Amino acid sequence: MKKKFALGSFMTRASVPLMFMIICAFCIPLSGLSPSYLINEIVTRMGRNAFLILSLLIPIMAGMGLNFGMTLGAMAGEIGLILVSDWQIVGIPGMVLAMIISVPISVLLGLFCGKILNMAKGREMITSYIMSYFMTGVYQLVVLYMMGSIIPIRHSNIKLPRGYGIRNTVSLLSMRQKLDNLWPVYINGVKIPMVTFIIIALMCLVIVWFRRTKLGQDMRAVGQDMEVARDAGINVERTRILSIIISTVLAGIGMIIYLQNLGNFATYTSHSQIGMFAIAALLVGGASVDKASVGNVFLGVILFHLMFIVAPKAGTAITGDSMIGEYFRVFVSYAVITIALIMYETAKRRNKSMEGQRLMMEQKKEEAK
Amino acid sequence: MGEELTRKEKGKLLKFVDSFGLPRLIITGFLALLLIVAPFVGADLPTQLTNIIARFSWNGVLVLAMVPMVHSGCGLNFGLPLGIISGLLGATLSIEFGFTGGLSFVMAILIATPFALILGSLYGWLLNKIKGGEMMIATYVGFSSVSFMCMMWLVLPYHSPTMVWGLSGKGLRTTISLEGYYNQVLANFLRIKIGNFVVPTGTLLFFALLAFGMWAFLHTRTGTAMTAVGSNPAFARAAGVNVDRIRLLSVVMSTWLAAVGILVYEQGFGFIQLYMAPFNMALPAVSAILIGGASVNKASIPNVIIGTILFQGMLTMTPTVMNNMIHMDMSEVIRVVVSQGMILYALTRRTEGGK
Amino acid sequence: MKSRKIIIRLLTIAVLVGIAAWMFVIGRGHTVYFDNKPYTSADGTVYESPYQIQVFVGGESAGKLKKGDRGMASCMGQDFYMELHITQEKGGKKTGSGISLKLPYNMDGIILNLPALLGGAPEEEYMSEFIPAAPAATEEDETVITDEFTMPLDE
Repeated sequence: MKKKFALGSFMTRASVPLMFMIICAFCIPLSGLSPSYLINEIVTRMGRNAFLILSLLIPIMAGMGLNFGMTLGAMAGEIGLILVSDWQIVGIPGMVLAMIISVPISVLLGLFCGKILNMAKGREMITSYIMSYFMTGVYQLVVLYMMGSIIPIRHSNIKLPRGYGIRNTVSLLSMRQKLDNLWPVYINGVKIPMVTFIIIALMCLVIVWFRRTKLGQDMRAVGQDMEVARDAGINVERTRILSIIISTVLAGIGMIIYLQNLGNFATYTSHSQIGMFAIAALLVGGASVDKASVGNVFLGVILFHLMFIVAPKAGTAITGDSMIGEYFRVFVSYAVITIALIMYETAKRRNKSMEGQRLMMEQKKEEAK
Repeated sequence: MGEELTRKEKGKLLKFVDSFGLPRLIITGFLALLLIVAPFVGADLPTQLTNIIARFSWNGVLVLAMVPMVHSGCGLNFGLPLGIISGLLGATLSIEFGFTGGLSFVMAILIATPFALILGSLYGWLLNKIKGGEMMIATYVGFSSVSFMCMMWLVLPYHSPTMVWGLSGKGLRTTISLEGYYNQVLANFLRIKIGNFVVPTGTLLFFALLAFGMWAFLHTRTGTAMTAVGSNPAFARAAGVNVDRIRLLSVVMSTWLAAVGILVYEQGFGFIQLYMAPFNMALPAVSAILIGGASVNKASIPNVIIGTILFQGMLTMTPTVMNNMIHMDMSEVIRVVVSQGMILYALTRRTEGGK
Repeated sequence: MKSRKIIIRLLTIAVLVGIAAWMFVIGRGHTVYFDNKPYTSADGTVYESPYQIQVFVGGESAGKLKKGDRGMASCMGQDFYMELHITQEKGGKKTGSGISLKLPYNMDGIILNLPALLGGAPEEEYMSEFIPAAPAATEEDETVITDEFTMPLDE
């Protein structure tokens, strides 16, 4: 009985990755892209995205669902990068400095976000989602109106000609792939950015270690049942806020790693897309709203980005229209999140009703005595 | 004695602020300030008022679409794009079948209706499966359906030369002009024009009709049952109400109103916008009704009217006034911060009846 | 216990600020321009430019500069080292020399006049600030795109 149930839950967990494997298996031959090209791309994207996705794990542990508010961290990272490029601090030192600048901003934003989420228990996800939009407005206020007028910006290549505000794109040419190229290893023509991978590996170790610390245990307890955790003497509110702060800080650092690989960024839009991509990739890797592991991150990056690369080409091959494939991959990203959310909610309801039945049975037994 | 009176008055004032909601008070004050300042900075007041009324008439029905789902306890309908898509299907098919003028509007509504009923039923069935997590899933159902339709707009065999891309002869354009179709059909009905001041009477009447219909519905037996389901589902179930059916009905109504709402919007705006345009259309409607004083599980017709006027008023007034005053157009920032802030505020309120 | 916590926090902040300051020092980026042009100093000394100078910065060639040419390279930090391969006359022999310089912190772009540098002129003679051409006054204000509706397509 129990075994059957476990198998069933395994199948539901594996259904999304399996679906993606089928999509990829179908699209790869159609796309006509060579395996070496694909492997190269996947390795690049792994280095680019993995850290960002890792930042989502801790709020899931604390039972707060998918942190759509990771966008806040991404904004903090971008502010750091804008300032650093105006100060002309380049290369790795520039990245480190941008990270150090982003940390206090992320902490403040995370604190704010965590406090709001504590006021909206039970609907953390939609609230963090709206929060990301809200903060986009504040970010615009800072970057578009305050930078150059209140916050000094000297260089005209990032400042708008009108004298305040930042241009649509900020070039990061001076730190482009500096981290990736610090120690590149070539295997069969595939460039592996060792330093980036080492940082990601360290982060994974930290997360695994974090689960065992006192704070990590507390978070898991809070994630299991807030009331029980409170009775056990855990400061639930503080623990939840901390999980969001950690996630936001990591997202900020992740965004800087992500952008150093790309070499430039769209000042007003790149953060809004990052949350969606990271969350979709994590879910594709087999994570759910209440359970996610380091393994899900890597499987997710591989499958999701494989689909992302091949879909437009395959779409063009099938329909002769390149836009179809582009829309298709957007659709799939959203559909995956939708399906994962639905699966989570139905499972939650099922558990609840099972619990209810169990309680009723017990009550009846009591009465029969 | 006197002291007591002031204290009493103070209490009254606090109570009033509390019932009116502080954010709403601030926004009302802000809009009033804009209206007062407008003539001094060289903005023509009649034109401004005309704009506000026009924008209200375009968006009213879309905001009205929020009401049924809020009433039945499904929360704010972030899945509005699903209904909008039904409306867009109605609009494009009506043009494709060659209807023109006012008839094309009627036909668009008629064609959109079955789509709205089918999609709304599916959507409602889904939302019944996932009670408690409606809003997040609604958001993503909306996104998925919009991106799915993006593919469909390219693939579906439309032929009408006003709608498809001229070069390839297939795939719908991103914006389609309604000139010669139902552009301004409602607005031109009994239009009042005094100098710069124009009232699109027809559109307002159409909105009033639907709003009255909604009001009347909420006072029928089914309507009261719907309110009961929203405020206390356990009690409603005990009273013999089929909760799932009522919720499904509310979702279908909301979807259909969204479909009609987008058609009304288009007849005012003059264009059909396809592809990613419906993507974030839910958010303005959601914030409008919240600004009007609704909460996650309470909404009334006055909330819709007040909210739409305040929100659209702010939207139209800020750019002109700001530009004339400080030559700095911060309206976009204000729009985002106010509307999203309002939604955040509503989400953090504790809801009575509990979820 | 509590005071230990505060001390640890303060130390962490101090370390971070320290690292930040260090990054400011070592991470300052400069663009260095090399001119192989004859140079007449204020006191009338003329430094003739050789036929060709090849400049190496960080092991990479920053250009073979004929008489009158300008090359450029990006570098990080204040200590700047370059290697020059000088050919005095056409077909002549190459002579190499390595030169270390201290770059001023507050200049983004720095022009080095190589003949003056090689000829032993003082720093203020061979080093000058590169001031980028002021953006045309008529440069159109770019419209800022803050649209939330943009397709999340490109990556």
